[in-house]
Amino acid sequence: MDLVYRHNRITRFTHWTNALALMILFMSGLMIFNAHPNLYWGNVSQADRAFFSIGAANDDGDLRGFVKLYGREVDTTGFLGAQQTGFMPTARAFPSWLTVPGYYSLAAGRRWHFFFGWLFVINGLLYIFYNLAVGHLRKFCFTPADAAKVPAMIAYYLHLRKTSPQEDEYNPLQKMAYTGVFVILTPLILLSGMAMSPQLNIAFNWLPAVFGGRQSARSIHFILAFGFGFFVFGHVFMVLTQGFLNNMRSMTTGWYRKKVPLAAKPIKAAAPVRPDIAQALKSKPEVSSSLSDDDAEKPLSATPASAPQTAENETLATPDGGKKHD
Amino acid sequence: MTKSAISRRNLLVRAAQGIGLLAMSGCEKVFDSLSQNSTVQTILEAAEQGNRRVQRVLTGEDKLAQEFSEKDISPKFRSNGNPPPITMEYAEDARNQWAKWRLEIGGLVKQPGQFSLTDLRAMPSRTQITRHDCVEGWSVIGKWKGVQLQLLLKQVTPTPDARYVVFRCMDTDDSGALYYESIDLTDAVHPQTLLAYELNGQPLPVENGAPLRLRVENQLGYKHAKYIRSLELVSGLEKIGQGKGGYWEDQGYEWYAGI
Repeated sequence: MDLVYRHNRITRFTHWTNALALMILFMSGLMIFNAHPNLYWGNVSQADRAFFSIGAANDDGDLRGFVKLYGREVDTTGFLGAQQTGFMPTARAFPSWLTVPGYYSLAAGRRWHFFFGWLFVINGLLYIFYNLAVGHLRKFCFTPADAAKVPAMIAYYLHLRKTSPQEDEYNPLQKMAYTGVFVILTPLILLSGMAMSPQLNIAFNWLPAVFGGRQSARSIHFILAFGFGFFVFGHVFMVLTQGFLNNMRSMTTGWYRKKVPLAAKPIKAAAPVRPDIAQALKSKPEVSSSLSDDDAEKPLSATPASAPQTAENETLATPDGGKKHD
Repeated sequence: MTKSAISRRNLLVRAAQGIGLLAMSGCEKVFDSLSQNSTVQTILEAAEQGNRRVQRVLTGEDKLAQEFSEKDISPKFRSNGNPPPITMEYAEDARNQWAKWRLEIGGLVKQPGQFSLTDLRAMPSRTQITRHDCVEGWSVIGKWKGVQLQLLLKQVTPTPDARYVVFRCMDTDDSGALYYESIDLTDAVHPQTLLAYELNGQPLPVENGAPLRLRVENQLGYKHAKYIRSLELVSGLEKIGQGKGGYWEDQGYEWYAGI
């Protein structure tokens, strides 16, 4: 087994802090939303102008939950709008198992939200400054060259293409996702959150207008929260499908086992009798390795497992260097 | 080998799903009990101090909340919270156009005073069209006219140890507890902090806090005390109400409602 040191201490610490912060921010945010489960565009909230609502209606003595988007209504009894609690359904926009706290308390939801908002920001700054300093951040940077490779990468994931167009440590889709989170999602969710604050409406009284008014800022904040939710869903899906234990190990201990995939198989036949075949096989890995040089996700060629040639990009700026165990 | 790898993966995925489900139902209980744990809450409240300090630094002096134009005024200014006071006295005062009502200002001041609505209307006024943001999330725009609180404070001259203005109100909740609120002197002397007696060009309606209510534009709606009877300048909030500085604060909401 070829273990490489993939994530240093700061990356691991900030990753899990971020995971906790995002989870609590999302769930306490849903609690805060429950206090007024309607969204509007503009500065103010006129009851009949909500474009999105979660609500409950009394339907012949039965409490019925619904979600309404631009006048279109969907029955969501049991999940959104009306939740089964004990003997009878209770009116509640997001169900208790999705909110922090589970019981209705706007005051407590806000307290959780603002504390973990600070944690999210401070933790994010630690991550960003550290990774800027060590030059790791540019590996995530989604460039026009990456954009050109996105269709090929999608085709590869859909098994419509045999070879991955990935050339760097992170593939084009990963770069797109991370760059999107760093430069779009995170700044916008912070600013739209700040645009809702009355005190900041004095400090920067142009801020709500940037989003089209305070209620627009609130709606955008809500939508972006689900942008984060979508990212986390994709992220966890990839972790589960691309080697759950290996990924979890690398994010807890730092050590990641390089994949030795099926492509390495022909090497086994490296002892054929015919010298021409041997010649052909021998030249092959060289061709492919020149096409795509260093890459963490990619098969290590036929070289013996201990070959340290890729260690330099993994161990970049790690406190305990190229130390390996197992 | 391949087969066992697949079934092991299945097993892991199943395990993760199981843990996830357990976590979800467990999560709720954990967060519920953490939300009621006083140590945890004290830690979380540290963020409140951070919000107040950082936001104050960012705000600086002499900056104003966004003001809107006439066409932005909401058709109806939503009222929320306690119903209007139900005492005979309040009803009678309302019938008499507040002729007998007096705003009392006392506590840590050199010249305690009493002001009738006529007195207040005779003072220089400020009119502002501002957005009112409720802690629940909704917003409404209205035009307010009133006396700047800083003008009234000048007349009563707070003593050097006065730090907060406490607003005593006439409305009660269903248990009979009187509404009250407090702000510090920094917010009290902000040019947009008013004791308002007019909304959208009309005498303040009963549901919006007649005869006099607070406008403190840097904070959420629950700080904007309605149905004001008296003002008291104090050095600390511990001995008032349940000690948290306001009716909603006593029920867990933050004293600093700038966020």
